[in-house]
Amino acid sequence: MASTQTLLSPAELAYLHSSLSLTPPIRPDGRSSTQFRPLVAETGILPGTNGSARICFADGTEAIVGVKAEVERTKSALTTTEDETVHRLEGEFVEGLAGAGGNSAGNIDEEDNDGLEGQNEWVELSVEIPGYRDDDSGTVFLSALLTEALLADGNLTKKLRINTRFHWKLYLDILLISPPLSYPLPLLSLTTHLALLSTRLPRLKSEGDEDPFFDDDWAAAPYLYPRENGTSGKATLRPPISLLVMAVGNNIIFDPAKEELAVADVALAVSIGDGKDNNSNAMDTDTRNLRLLSVRTIDPPSRLTPPGVPNATNTAYGAAAGTTAQKQPEARAAESEAVEGVWKPPRGGAKPLVMAALVQKVLEKGGVTDEVLDALDAVELE
Amino acid sequence: MPITIIAPKPARHHFHDSHQTAGSDDESDTSSQQGASLDQEGDIQMLISQSSRPKHSHSQSSQNYNIVTPGEVITSDPQWMRGHGTYMTPQTHNIISSVAGTISRTNKLLSVRPLRARYTPEVGDLVVGRIVEVQAKRWRVDVGGTQLAGLPLSAINLPGGILRKRTETDELQIRTFFAEGDLLVAEVQSLFGDGGASLHTRSLKYGKLRNGVFVAVSGMGGGGGVVRSRRQVWTMEGANNGGLIDIVLGVNGYVWISKHVETAAVVEDNKDNNNKPSVGITNMEEVVSATMYSSQNDKIEVDTMREIARLRGVITALVENGLRVDEDMVVKGYHEAVEMALASEGGPDDVYLGGERGEQLANALTGV
Repeated sequence: MASTQTLLSPAELAYLHSSLSLTPPIRPDGRSSTQFRPLVAETGILPGTNGSARICFADGTEAIVGVKAEVERTKSALTTTEDETVHRLEGEFVEGLAGAGGNSAGNIDEEDNDGLEGQNEWVELSVEIPGYRDDDSGTVFLSALLTEALLADGNLTKKLRINTRFHWKLYLDILLISPPLSYPLPLLSLTTHLALLSTRLPRLKSEGDEDPFFDDDWAAAPYLYPRENGTSGKATLRPPISLLVMAVGNNIIFDPAKEELAVADVALAVSIGDGKDNNSNAMDTDTRNLRLLSVRTIDPPSRLTPPGVPNATNTAYGAAAGTTAQKQPEARAAESEAVEGVWKPPRGGAKPLVMAALVQKVLEKGGVTDEVLDALDAVELE
Repeated sequence: MPITIIAPKPARHHFHDSHQTAGSDDESDTSSQQGASLDQEGDIQMLISQSSRPKHSHSQSSQNYNIVTPGEVITSDPQWMRGHGTYMTPQTHNIISSVAGTISRTNKLLSVRPLRARYTPEVGDLVVGRIVEVQAKRWRVDVGGTQLAGLPLSAINLPGGILRKRTETDELQIRTFFAEGDLLVAEVQSLFGDGGASLHTRSLKYGKLRNGVFVAVSGMGGGGGVVRSRRQVWTMEGANNGGLIDIVLGVNGYVWISKHVETAAVVEDNKDNNNKPSVGITNMEEVVSATMYSSQNDKIEVDTMREIARLRGVITALVENGLRVDEDMVVKGYHEAVEMALASEGGPDDVYLGGERGEQLANALTGV
């Protein structure tokens, strides 16, 4: 899927590419290669929702996410009967299908498959980008990407189960309220993450399979993602995040701005789930158990840029340019060999080694993802 | 630290000179919010709409701001005259704001200064623009205004500086001069009746831009941004072996920062004065404009790139903190940034000026 095209001149592209290929890279805004743009975050901004968040980047892009939940009757109560074996088989079949799709590389736990699976239809997600239609391919792709990350490990839908007959249906409305100044994936993903963390569902009073009946007291409502000690403290299990990573030359760059993405050789959207390991949480509570949920390639706009014209073939260059006979009226169409200082768009696919390095860098223990999650932990939830 | 997450700040207080009176520090008293001179009917209406807005707990300290939004009635008292940014409906005396901004008052004239506005071209302005469309005999240039500016084929220098009528051949190869996406620096030559501008690049100072980075900030309008000043283009010495760096501040808010390049012919001329014909007043145009339409960057040293990134950081920090961008501020801010980098843990090579560091820089410049 192509991200939005930004119009840059060949000279600019050549400059950006060469400055980003340096070791260490010099990014146009002076950040280090793993540094994110500073952002302002708050939660609980929409009183009418179960959970909401707002994130604003320093460059002015801003997103709001609202999460609404409603009780819905589960369609086929038959799928969760006591017949454990049938269900187990079904579950594995579905997982097999997801695996064959080639995108969910997550190692889904098959151990705790105790008949409390949720269904993917229980989560509905809509993305709105100003200036783009709902059915624009970019918008659809973004919402598919975010949905995929949320549903990949099945943790979220499992929480939405009330009993065998009823479940919560979760509506996530993701709004970008500024024009998309840069590719909005990381922004939308981080905002969704915070909104889900702050989501609370009313406390269930009824028991078993009877019609659900809830506590009126909002203060007693538990968080969708439970905390370590009651209402305060860190969440034990966290919603996934998707990060945008790109490579230029030998450098791996996180959270690229618009101009940086315009010269990317490869751009990847990597979704990571974070769950403290169920078996070994007693030993190490500090280390996270990062799991790769999905990887999607983003078509970098650099491939569609026009190449620069080296001075040697430029008909408008040099003192005699105006007088000589013009052999090529459309000199820009001609593609040349790589010349120092001339922009040449990347051709061909991404190298597997580069892709592997990108994913590895994201999943690194104590690396960028850990620090991002730590920072998100520190955001106060209302 | 790869990521910094800041809690939202309370709404920024907008200072302005005209009518903040001492009485307005009493925040619970709504009638004193507007100061003494403007407490007419219309203002009470405005205050009601303000107090009914949803408020956060932290917005207590920012109640006395004076921002009006489009359609908001500023006053209905007939003694006031309407100025820029306002309109009146027929048969009423209501002065209504047509933009979002702050009220300013000059005697009996009420006008609203917009918080942010697009660039309105004026003849003689130096602008940086980007070609967005190529037509048969002209280019359409984005200069950040309400409309695209036009650059006719007849208003550019031909390579080699030759002077002749533009022919069909020139029209056919119009893209060899400028193509879509190319950046150029030009001057506003004339204005059309609808506010559109026609540009020209018929000077050695103007033409295609290369060897650097572009940054778009807000131009003449409201808030911080590029202001018209004596010099919009200058060359400065970069710190840490940065070499010479050119800065072009377009009046429209588009900024170009690049490595300073001596024209090849001039350098050669200095090397051997005997063999080459020297650059005189007669053939200077010919020599300089030879490189005018090149889109090939020269070799740029790492140090220069770093200082260019630092300058870009200074300019964005100035704008983010609502300060004006002109030669004086940029040069002062740059020296301050170099000092700050020396003191930081990253050493002199640390060019990051986002977030808190930008604020620190702005505070150092304003002397707070």
